[in-house]
Amino acid sequence: MELPNELRYSAEHEWVRVDGARTQVGITDFAQDALGDIVYVQLPEVGSTVSAAGPCCEIESTKAVSDVYAPVSGTIVEINGALADAPEQVNADPYGTGWLFVIEMTDLSELDTLMDAAAYRALVDEE
Amino acid sequence: VSDRIHATRTTRQWRLVDDLGTRLAGVQQMAADVALLDDVAHGAGPVLRLYRWARPALSLGRFQPDGDVDKHACDRLNVEVVRRPTGGRALLHGGDLTYAVAIPRPSGAAGDVDAVYSWLAGGLIAALGRLGVQAEIGRHRGPSGPACFATAQGADLRVGERKLCGSAQVHRAGGVLQHGSILLEHLRFDETDVLVFASPGERDVARRWLGRAPVTLDELGVASEPETVAAAIVAGFEDHLDLTFGSRLDLPFR
Repeated sequence: MELPNELRYSAEHEWVRVDGARTQVGITDFAQDALGDIVYVQLPEVGSTVSAAGPCCEIESTKAVSDVYAPVSGTIVEINGALADAPEQVNADPYGTGWLFVIEMTDLSELDTLMDAAAYRALVDEE
Repeated sequence: VSDRIHATRTTRQWRLVDDLGTRLAGVQQMAADVALLDDVAHGAGPVLRLYRWARPALSLGRFQPDGDVDKHACDRLNVEVVRRPTGGRALLHGGDLTYAVAIPRPSGAAGDVDAVYSWLAGGLIAALGRLGVQAEIGRHRGPSGPACFATAQGADLRVGERKLCGSAQVHRAGGVLQHGSILLEHLRFDETDVLVFASPGERDVARRWLGRAPVTLDELGVASEPETVAAAIVAGFEDHLDLTFGSRLDLPFR
């Protein structure tokens, strides 16, 4: 299971890549593997507001439809439109071309509630 | 994992909604199941709902394109089209007994899609065993396309190589809803008559697959009356999943 050290992770298996007040969000390698082949991603609307730990978009795999949760609060400022035609990128490259959306954060201190790679690995190993 | 499902958030006291006699329209069926999922996600106990359909209905997966449906054929055959909250592909109802299970989402690995499928499959396999059917979990390897019983799904219950029960899930904050369909008898038409396929060739492949892949309880020569099958499901869940149905519910909006 790949877990880049520069990212932070939520207990709901999302990752965030922080760039100033903006953070790119995706689901982890562990999550994509558990979901199986992803066939559709319904992304949030640009301009919509999201709350930390609240559901903000949905992913459908061949097994199930699952909510994706916002790891931090803020406004959606960018979405990965390429996933409309290539949702399998979430499986193939979850930390790269399979990213989901970018949040403009309203409270940077929420980042402190997320885990580093080692803590997230421990969480996953527990499961 | 099954122990952890119990140990985490799913109580052993379940509720039962016996809707075999109500035959709601498809839209009402889905609304009822979503209401149960919401209910559970807000703290209510797990629930099993069993029902049949007022008339044949084609249920589409949560994000399945509307364009997969042959609307003229549905009108001609008096088939209602509804959208499920759960994933997967189109399924034709009418000859089946449908179940909906809503449980609080177990934490950790027990809440994984596969873990929930496997756990509930144990109850369903026990139920079918009571009817004299030896079913097992199988990943279906049919052709891709718009029809559920002809394509790859999460976890199916199969008898030999033939699919008897398909299922689909949605995972929401706090709750999981699993839909499943146990085939009691064939209708006089199937999904290939009411769906649009990319080409005649793809329809032919699906038709051939649907002609030999699914199997009904009637074909297996065991009891296929809905009431008998429902009773077996209740008993199978209680025995195998170590739970009791402490209350029988009427849906609040009826």
